[in-house]
Amino acid sequence: MMKPSLLGNSKAALKKSMDYHLRCSLCKEPVSKEGRDLFLATAFSLRDRMAEKILQTERRYREAKTKRVYYLSLEFLIGRLMGNTLHNLGMFDTYKGLLTDAGFDIEEVREQETDPGLGNGGLGRLAACFLDSMATLDIAGFGYGIHYEYGLFKQEIDNGYQREKPDNWLAELNPWEIKRTDEKCIIPIHGRIEHFQDRAGEYNPMWLDWKVIMGIPFDIPVVGYGGKTVNWLRLYGAGSSADFDIQIFNEGDYFRAVEQKVSSETITKMLYPLDTLKSGRELRLVQEYFLVACALRDIIRRYLRDHENFDRFPERVAIQMNDTHPSLAVAELMRLFVDEYALPWDHAWEITRETLAYTNHTVLAEALEKWPVGLLEKVIPRHLQIIYEINRRFLDKVAALYPGDIDLIRRISLIEEGETKQVRMAHLALVGSHSVNGVSALHTEILKNENFSDFYALRPEEFVNITNGITQRRWLLEANPRLAGLISDTIGDAWITDLQQLRRLESLADQKAFKDAFHDIKRTNKEILAGIISDSVWLSVDPDSLFDVHVKRIHEYKRQLLKIMQIVHEYLQIIRGEKKPAIAKTHIFAGKAAPGYWIAKQMIKLIHNVGQVINQDKRIGDALKVVFLPDYRVSLAEKIIPATDLSEQISMAGREASGTGNMKFMLNGALTVGTLDGANVEMLEEVGEENIFIFGLKAKEIAEMVQEKRYRPLDYYHRFPEIRKVLDAFRDDTFCAAERGLFQWIYHRVMNNEDPYFHLPDFMQYIEAHDKIEAEFQDPATWTQKAILNVARCGKFSSDRAIADYNRLIWNKNGLKEK
Amino acid sequence: MQLQHKNTADVLIVRPLEKRIDASAATEFKLKLGEWIDSGNRRIVLNLSEVDFIDSSGLGAIISGFKRIGGDGRLVICAVKESVMSLFRLTRMNRVFDIFPSEDEALRALSGKA
Repeated sequence: MMKPSLLGNSKAALKKSMDYHLRCSLCKEPVSKEGRDLFLATAFSLRDRMAEKILQTERRYREAKTKRVYYLSLEFLIGRLMGNTLHNLGMFDTYKGLLTDAGFDIEEVREQETDPGLGNGGLGRLAACFLDSMATLDIAGFGYGIHYEYGLFKQEIDNGYQREKPDNWLAELNPWEIKRTDEKCIIPIHGRIEHFQDRAGEYNPMWLDWKVIMGIPFDIPVVGYGGKTVNWLRLYGAGSSADFDIQIFNEGDYFRAVEQKVSSETITKMLYPLDTLKSGRELRLVQEYFLVACALRDIIRRYLRDHENFDRFPERVAIQMNDTHPSLAVAELMRLFVDEYALPWDHAWEITRETLAYTNHTVLAEALEKWPVGLLEKVIPRHLQIIYEINRRFLDKVAALYPGDIDLIRRISLIEEGETKQVRMAHLALVGSHSVNGVSALHTEILKNENFSDFYALRPEEFVNITNGITQRRWLLEANPRLAGLISDTIGDAWITDLQQLRRLESLADQKAFKDAFHDIKRTNKEILAGIISDSVWLSVDPDSLFDVHVKRIHEYKRQLLKIMQIVHEYLQIIRGEKKPAIAKTHIFAGKAAPGYWIAKQMIKLIHNVGQVINQDKRIGDALKVVFLPDYRVSLAEKIIPATDLSEQISMAGREASGTGNMKFMLNGALTVGTLDGANVEMLEEVGEENIFIFGLKAKEIAEMVQEKRYRPLDYYHRFPEIRKVLDAFRDDTFCAAERGLFQWIYHRVMNNEDPYFHLPDFMQYIEAHDKIEAEFQDPATWTQKAILNVARCGKFSSDRAIADYNRLIWNKNGLKEK
Repeated sequence: MQLQHKNTADVLIVRPLEKRIDASAATEFKLKLGEWIDSGNRRIVLNLSEVDFIDSSGLGAIISGFKRIGGDGRLVICAVKESVMSLFRLTRMNRVFDIFPSEDEALRALSGKA
């Protein structure tokens, strides 16, 4: 039965609520303009309303016996929550009015919110977009993650070099989260296996001598658009089992007792940057186990409130593993079922597989997790036993199907033999799930035909493609309010929950009034970004220039280098009088490099040095500018993307699983220059080849060249003077006059190390694409028309569609109830 | 560590009066159990009705007693709270020990059997 609300939503009630929190929660009067008081009062008043709605939503789910979906992810890049929450609750204008009445600008208040960096990039942001879509679609979908004390590092730039600073996002009060100490759980870790017999004389391994970590949940409400459904994201922080170890305390060693407590809390201290996750980082393994163990205990606890046994578990529970990071869920769920709930192995295995599903996010071999057997034995000895048993049974089945095929057994095994035996986490996830999905059509084909071809041959029906998506509530409605307003004024606001409605803009793409309005909005967004650039890096850029943007994590496969090569090529052409610039261009970069990834960090230095030379060269004037915006994060992306003319999605084909940045740019009316990689392929299908600039080798062509060893960088160097001049510029210190030899490594990496990311074979086509872009940008009417068509044809790339696909193809196999 | 114990017929009933059996108590607990076994007690009921939490060292002490009493004796457990039972399940010790809901049932089970 629905309980009456304790809160009102009238303007007067909301004002009273804010006043209450200012005085009673924050003990503040009067409010200062500089501080966070007003932000906190707004957030607390919103949290009150969402807390009530969480309870209402929960009652609805329980009454309807709704199947629950749990999304396990080591990263949730949620960004700032105030704007998104206000929009989804339909209270943006009311709060804006309240703040205006009090003499404050809502945008300034929003700037007071910390931007939590609880993720590296696409994978974490995808998880956040999915939570928004699940709540909007009224799906009982919840996130489980880690309450990192320090998010991904803050990036500062010192003489062009990246410097990492701790991101202590919790130093400021986080008003959204609700600490639930009443639902804390005990997680065992370490210890040893004692080989014993049970009462019937059967083998009974006992897990003894473990230590205990406390998992303390923090819930962040996730409100769906319209405010009917409020789900939650539960982040677990680690604590010690008791405030102090009693024995140590009794011995009088206060300091050692405190140190032990701190040691437990270290587990959730920091998020590991990607590309630093090489095998052997024990703390990362502990984090992965900790998340999985906390989440599964909580999921089972919730299930058992309404059920007496596990027979209906897969009907009522779906668990999605976001990449291999939570793949220990396979072993932990089996351990819980077999050890703690005494289910027979076969029954437990059936339930486990029917419940779990795995999303793969990478084809890069170095990013497919493996953990040394010895480390697993040390951290979670019982799980290692279970993994061995899963493997034994699995390999028996494979051997029965393919007798004598030893090589297949070796390839498909969960254990990689070698000097250091390792557990292949992707194989564990594949074997323990009823579904595996890639995140774009191309990526899924690569998984089927290359990375996981043996598994595909065994279980083809379990491979599914679900192309990634983004939530339009954050990436258009919130990030680009002017364009969102124009669209809603023109075709209504149904697009907010049905992005295919944007198709209705197609007929307006050649209508002058609409084009002018669209163009003006882009111009305004560019002015705003120009202001941010000026404030941030003290560089003046022309809002009428082409804003050409390459923002994402810095990684070789994403080919920031290719973009710099194109800029250098253009620069050399201009200063050597080979080209007269037809348009002004502002090249904008942003992105973080993993602290231990030398090449990526050098790339940041290169961008800065190239920028320094070009930006100060009087021969260039305003024709070319190169900007690197530090500390790329969700809130900065929300400013860059709406202001972008040209989106650079130029990864080496076959390497980017999907990309989601590409979709965000498309939704905001940028044209894309890109390779046929990840979701770019599907963007081309949707938008039409005349509205996107595609270049470069296809994944298959690259694979063939690699296999046949046909690629020789030296041939390109000699054959194409354009390539030669650019590489020579890196070699001859054109961009590092004060630091001789600094960039010579690039020449050698490309020429002598076989250019593993195929910069040279794609370069000539890439500069041709840019010639075309330059020509087209000189015709603003046609450019704007194409930009409008990009927006109009972006409907497929909503995370609502992606979640509907997950629902239909993976979670709904057993009859998921919606609404 | 506070341990209550009494003999009923030839059964020794041991009842820890602590809420927690952790590292601070486990050594003494293990020692006492060992002494009782070594002094000839062959049937022991461990009544855990007062205990809310046993850490792995406490569980280790019980295992140690079980091993010490050997095949010709019996160490059974009774009146286990759910919070402790969940730890038995975690370690799979519940499959090794006979666990009874109450002291009376444990005594009944031990009567006539060694």
